[in-house]
Amino acid sequence: MAAVYIMRQTSLLIFLLCLSTMSLFGQTRTLTGNVTNSEDGTDLPGVNVVLKGTSTGVTTDASGAFKLAVPNQGGTLLFSSIGFQAQEVVIGNLSKVTIKLLPDTKQLSEVIITGYGTQAQKTLTGSIASVSGKSIENIPAPSSDQLLQGRAAGVQVSANSGTPGGGMQVRVRGTTSINGSSDPLYVVDGIPIQSNNLSGIGLGGSTTNPIADINPADIASMEILKDASATAIYGARAANGVVLITTKRGANKKAKISFGTYQGTQQLWRRPAVVDGPTFETLINEANVNNGQRPTYANPAGTTNSNWSERIFQDGALRNYDLSIAGGSEKVQYLVSANNFFQEAVVKGSDFKRTSGRVNLDFTPIDKVKVGTSVLFARSTRNLIRSDDNISGALSGAFFLPPNLPFYQADGSYTKFGTFENPIAAVENNNIKMNTNRFLANVYAQYDILPGLNLRSTFSLDYSNIQEDLYDNTFLNNGASRNGFGQSLNSRDNNWIQENVLTYQRSFGDHSINALVGTSMQESTFERTTATGEQFPSNDFTRIISAAVQRGTSEGTSWGISSLFGRIVYDYKSRYLATVNVRRDGSSRFGRDNRWGTFPSVAVGWLLSEESFMKDMSFLNVLKIRGSYGLTGNQSGITNFQSIGLWGGNLDDLGAPSGSSAYVDLPGTAPIQLANQDLKWETTTQTNVGLDLGIIKNRVKITADYYVKNTTDLLLAVPVPRTSGFNTLVQNYGAVQNKGFELGINADILKGDDRKIGWNVNFNIATNTNKLTKLAAPFTVYNRDIYRYEEGYSMYSFYLHEQTGVNPETGAPIWTDVNGDGKFDANVDRKIVGNANPKFFGGITNTLNFKGFDLMFFFQYSSGNKQLHWNRFFGEHGGTRNTNFMTSQLDRWQKSGDQTMIPKMSAENYAGNLRPSRFLEDGSYMRLKNISLGYTLPKPLLDKIHLSNLRIYVSGQNVLTFTKYTGLDPEMTGTASTNLTQGIEFFTMPQPKVYMAGLNVSF
Amino acid sequence: MKPINTLLLAGLVSVFSACNVLDQLPQAEVAESIAVTNKKGANAALAGLYNQLQDGNYYGRNFQLISDVASDISQSVGTWDFYREMDTYVTAPANRENAALWTRGYRAINIANTLIANVPNLADLTTAEKNALLGQAYFLRGLVYFDLTRVYAGVPDVVGTLGIPIVLTPSKTVDETLYPSRPTLKASYDQVESDLIKSLELLPEAYASDITTRAQAVKGTAKALLSRLYLYLKQPAKVLQYANEVIADPKYVLQTSYESIFSGKFTAESIFELNFGSTDQSGMRNWYFPSSLGGRGDIAIHESFYQELIANPKDVRGKMVARDNTVNVYYSTKYQKAGNIDNAHIIRIAEIYLNRAEARAQSGDLPGALADLNKIRNRAGVESLTVTGVQPTLEAIWQERKLELAFEGHRFFDLVRTNQALTKLVQVSRKNGPPVTLSNVGRQIFPIPLADIDSNKKLVQNDGYK
Repeated sequence: MAAVYIMRQTSLLIFLLCLSTMSLFGQTRTLTGNVTNSEDGTDLPGVNVVLKGTSTGVTTDASGAFKLAVPNQGGTLLFSSIGFQAQEVVIGNLSKVTIKLLPDTKQLSEVIITGYGTQAQKTLTGSIASVSGKSIENIPAPSSDQLLQGRAAGVQVSANSGTPGGGMQVRVRGTTSINGSSDPLYVVDGIPIQSNNLSGIGLGGSTTNPIADINPADIASMEILKDASATAIYGARAANGVVLITTKRGANKKAKISFGTYQGTQQLWRRPAVVDGPTFETLINEANVNNGQRPTYANPAGTTNSNWSERIFQDGALRNYDLSIAGGSEKVQYLVSANNFFQEAVVKGSDFKRTSGRVNLDFTPIDKVKVGTSVLFARSTRNLIRSDDNISGALSGAFFLPPNLPFYQADGSYTKFGTFENPIAAVENNNIKMNTNRFLANVYAQYDILPGLNLRSTFSLDYSNIQEDLYDNTFLNNGASRNGFGQSLNSRDNNWIQENVLTYQRSFGDHSINALVGTSMQESTFERTTATGEQFPSNDFTRIISAAVQRGTSEGTSWGISSLFGRIVYDYKSRYLATVNVRRDGSSRFGRDNRWGTFPSVAVGWLLSEESFMKDMSFLNVLKIRGSYGLTGNQSGITNFQSIGLWGGNLDDLGAPSGSSAYVDLPGTAPIQLANQDLKWETTTQTNVGLDLGIIKNRVKITADYYVKNTTDLLLAVPVPRTSGFNTLVQNYGAVQNKGFELGINADILKGDDRKIGWNVNFNIATNTNKLTKLAAPFTVYNRDIYRYEEGYSMYSFYLHEQTGVNPETGAPIWTDVNGDGKFDANVDRKIVGNANPKFFGGITNTLNFKGFDLMFFFQYSSGNKQLHWNRFFGEHGGTRNTNFMTSQLDRWQKSGDQTMIPKMSAENYAGNLRPSRFLEDGSYMRLKNISLGYTLPKPLLDKIHLSNLRIYVSGQNVLTFTKYTGLDPEMTGTASTNLTQGIEFFTMPQPKVYMAGLNVSF
Repeated sequence: MKPINTLLLAGLVSVFSACNVLDQLPQAEVAESIAVTNKKGANAALAGLYNQLQDGNYYGRNFQLISDVASDISQSVGTWDFYREMDTYVTAPANRENAALWTRGYRAINIANTLIANVPNLADLTTAEKNALLGQAYFLRGLVYFDLTRVYAGVPDVVGTLGIPIVLTPSKTVDETLYPSRPTLKASYDQVESDLIKSLELLPEAYASDITTRAQAVKGTAKALLSRLYLYLKQPAKVLQYANEVIADPKYVLQTSYESIFSGKFTAESIFELNFGSTDQSGMRNWYFPSSLGGRGDIAIHESFYQELIANPKDVRGKMVARDNTVNVYYSTKYQKAGNIDNAHIIRIAEIYLNRAEARAQSGDLPGALADLNKIRNRAGVESLTVTGVQPTLEAIWQERKLELAFEGHRFFDLVRTNQALTKLVQVSRKNGPPVTLSNVGRQIFPIPLADIDSNKKLVQNDGYK
């Protein structure tokens, strides 16, 4: 409680401070004005306007306007803004001034959004990557995190699958946590938002993505905070980096109405490589003979040939409409937007639709007081199918079902086989819906206490209501055994956040200071109600009210976090830079004695290009070296009550919750968690050194960073002997190291305007090395233990039987004898043979424009990562299963002298306990992620038809892919339901190729 | 300035109203310290203990399937290759189903230990209620130790020298007690025996409801399991003693119709029958039934055993099989209820007759043995058998056990117990591969799961898997 007390005191202090400063203003008149950029005429917000020789002053608002009390006579106004040359104006008897500021070409002029503020890129000491709204507009993606892929050095983004609106895996500078979450913190317009998968229906490894509720067209910019200096202001939740999403706002201008649309189609990039009916029977017969059995099939050539996969894929539709109006007056600025997005999957039955509306409002009701709101309401509707690490879906059926079986039986019923779903039945009878209603809103009030000193209070709400309904009729396996099976889930996730930030910005001669202190409090509650029904009167009744057997359950949980933070950014002569951050966080998830953690960071920078000895180097515009060091924390990924010994429902064999502990109608309980009162924050210590370079009139900008991240006190589910009745205990044990190098180059090779040709190249590359530096004991995860976590190795390491070849004489696989005892034993001769982490990854974007035409092409790449083609493990079974073969089986050893990796088809060579490394493939790829060609109508023509802008374009996504990987898609994770696995394809829906055309018009 | 003051006041209120965000309490669980502190809590823990046995990892399917595929009853024909490993005697220490049974067994033991530690101190229970609770906890702990010992440790004079770790106190946090070592095989069986004897003292004769009497442990249940235990320990006199007592108990009657034991629930045949319902479903039907009937069809009957089942057209047990025409295999229809609500038959009176028959044969009472054996044969619609000599009689009893108790979790352990595993499990033909033979003596038991070998340095792996 001590800290809460301190916080109360601080808040009180802040408010007392505000109250005491309210009557400082005397006999004056009011001067109004407007500041614009002389280069492009745009409004300049945040310009300091000071009455020279006094402390009186203001900053301009979002529309560049200001209002200032000045003496009745005399005085000079000083206008200054980072990135612009300062300017003085004698007031005289002016009542309104309009000022055009000249950009300072010596400086990097961009202003970067940082946590709780903004800062000129020039004086920035932390590592922050920025992605502008411009660079991602009109790229079809249900969710904005997907748009970060390949655009920021060191930010690794992969889709879990091609499921529309499905989960993404985003890693900023590697994976820092094993059992804890390694996802970054998402902050939208200052609100840390809920970004976990809230779907309660287990359909496979695929997850749904809450970031998809946010319309990408509303985004003004996305900043990725990477090093400790940039992230530490978010303290306890910043260890995995922070993604700041800033939405567009109105300005003091006349209303601008914009409309945009695109329409497209999507196709499968590759089809499942499985054999046909006659080949299937021939191969089975060959295996029979090799095993000393009689051939099963008499006449393979004349058998049925069913191509299951042709019945489940489709060309998916894609549509998007955006409409917005933005504008404002001196007192009120607004942006109102609406969006409708629809995307079908390439597998029938799966789609995603979002309808959303946004209102962003800023107004000045009283002098010096600004009030505003950002409100998003989004309704996302998904039709879901079983896919991705799920063997009961259409995709797995298309791989598994033997092609010598007919689609339907003689009586017209679906042909059924083994545990698999008939793929046609799966797509025709699928009925799984998920509707999300998301309300994400904040209200703020900002009071300018003194020039440069302001207080901002924000209250935010992030509420999701998710309704999921599933019905399996009797044509589906799951429904057949229960005469119809229905499930209905309602989940509510409610977060509120209250924050207060006092900011002070001031220059004294050569010294410039920007400081803030703040408080933050957040509470999150989650509730779910589930109803289940079985035994339905007929397939026409799909609601549980009709079911003969009905069950219901409800659950709930909550957590809270409370924080105090502060920051000082200081520079001397705009040359020597320093930033100090500290944040103190308390979390309800830890025991009373370990609740609070303190996360400080420091950063220093030196702008060498400002030094006199560098002035002669005219080609060099900017040269800055910088370094930072700091601590950040992690509390995510563990349950809300992880430190307490608990009794409750049942656990499955792997320790995950699995229903109730009742013995039919007798209510029951069971131990579910061992106590660990010592549990505390996971801590990441990050060191970063970086260099920013601007040459040739800043046309070429280079940013390079090297970082080392050491995560200690890992929130690790340490295996305990299961003789205890438990699988694991979450302890602060173990350590992970991530280190890497990042390089970003942005070059205006040709600086064009309307008439001349322009060419911009933006390139980034990053490496990251991940290593488990401390672990209690090795452990394995996933079915068949294919991932192993062991000290000295990377996370996502594959644990397999290393196959080095096939004996050309016998056709038997050749295995590495790991323990060197001269014989291969599947029980012990297993080893780590590679991992899913890329050696380097990044992207390159080329943007060209000429006479109103624009052409953009964006390649994204990943190199050195291994991908486990687990579909092949099942489809290259050598006749040991009844299921279909993948075409890779055709390369099997057949006769003496054959050189191949695929062994002779016999039960021994494909024994059930073998996990051959031949399925671990090179997952490197380079993809033409996006290409677009557009034309913007010339200004005179636009004026004639009374439009301010009109652009038409055609575009493609995932158009070209270069890879050696043989699966459906190299770019997917497949088992995102756990943090512990990556780089596996297991009946994962691939990403589609997209072709589309669009139009943007504004007036 | 007034509006500003109001604004600030609003800000202040919102700050102070939010101080308690750090004090959150679980809603769906309770703290360990209060879980078993009164009558309701103890009863809930007992239900939770039965629920562990019901789980798919244990009697919900896994225990029966392990016995089926590892013996000459069934084969794995699906993709779940953990059962294929067991079927072909290449079970890896990392095998998930192998580890699941171990994990589930020790979960049950931990609950039993909690009840045994806490129940004596509870104020709101009568002595009779305490005895019933404790008796069941001891019985279930004895049953689990018996099962785990059979699976992972062995049978005296057949296979195995080390027992399985014995844990007798509840686990609360990580300390030395969580890292046990393996005692001798004898010590493991001693623990089973002492738990069952203790439970026999404490358990009631019956409960108010007949279903509860069969769905939960009573004195008769303990005696029945003791008669099985002494077959493993080769003490026929004690087998006879307990089997006689159970057969004399009027609660337990051989049903006239074999089929009705499985189509119904809690018939008089049942001594210990785990109850399943729509909230607690069994996996047996799902794993045997073909997908056209909503099952996953991973397990199928061996062709050779199918021939044995149907050899005598009068045998009703041969009627409880069906054919999957898509995959061309046979499956059992013992478990066939819609909604997968088939009960698990852990102990039924037919087994006790066969236990007694075996003990009678071993102690020289061949006519008595044949009388028990034929009782079972006649009930199945098969004519009486006449054999002479101890060994032929024993073999006839063993063959009858195979037919009578198939798919109920007996065959593999009976083969090992009677030292027939290495002679009977030879060239067993399989659908998806060449015939298999169990030739490694050490693989008559299963490996200690890799997770525990990795996490507990004191554990020694079984010889067959080193």
